[in-house]
Amino acid sequence: MTDLVPSGVFQWFLILTTGLVAGLWFVHDIVFLARLRGTDRKDPLVHDQRFGYMMGIVIGMIGVIGALLYMHDTGVI
Amino acid sequence: MVSTTGPSAAVADTPAASAPRVVSPFNPANAVTASRFLTLPPLWWAVAHGYHQWATLLLVICALFDKLDGLVAKLFNCRSAFGEVFDAIADAICYGFGLILVAAYGWAPAIPVVFVISLGVLNTVLRFVYAGRAGRTVNYKSYAMERIVGYTSFLIGFATSGMEVTYFYWAFVPVMLVIVLHDAKRMLVDPIPAIPAVPTAPAAGARA
Repeated sequence: MTDLVPSGVFQWFLILTTGLVAGLWFVHDIVFLARLRGTDRKDPLVHDQRFGYMMGIVIGMIGVIGALLYMHDTGVI
Repeated sequence: MVSTTGPSAAVADTPAASAPRVVSPFNPANAVTASRFLTLPPLWWAVAHGYHQWATLLLVICALFDKLDGLVAKLFNCRSAFGEVFDAIADAICYGFGLILVAAYGWAPAIPVVFVISLGVLNTVLRFVYAGRAGRTVNYKSYAMERIVGYTSFLIGFATSGMEVTYFYWAFVPVMLVIVLHDAKRMLVDPIPAIPAVPTAPAAGARA
């Protein structure tokens, strides 16, 4: 059984899927974390949201860096 | 047929209030959730035969079904506590199976996979403890946990596609450790939120 698409197309699919999702995730969580400024940190829901958005920012960064690493390793950049 | 009621079932005790909505576990949303299991045998086949692209495609389908079941639940108005727990169980089975599979066939490093699965099992045990504390069928949710589940689906995809596997797997371990420890404190120590009230039609006799 052959591959579904040429390997170059598959590489770009991976780069775009990972990079875009991680990048959007990163920006989304930064924006939502910023919106929580001034809210009551002792409120359990606010605390959960803040922690979740911070972890989302970290995960987004990991994704963007990974996509860039992959682009470098495959010779795209 | 066994029926499961959602959180709204515990409200509405006024005489003329609408009866609590009973949702069968055999509903379209849970059918979509269950259909995710159908992607696992072909995923195994694809990994066993070294078909990276097919394995990635099957994983994408499995992840799309994960998103689709929530939409179907909204569309058919069949959300339930059981459905939420079933979705979490399906996540655990599908992603646990996927991680073991890619590690077993050497597509992912075994040590981080063992860490991740151990933390996942610990989290599942804590969820049962949390449900026991709550005294009802309840699916523990946190914003951070939603994000780590999203990362997990990508994690298997990185292995099936061969995309920076070592980097993504080792980066995942500390993030998951922090989140599991944070959520463990919430599940074991923090007070459990009350059942959210669902607005119902006001009873005639209850008017002032």
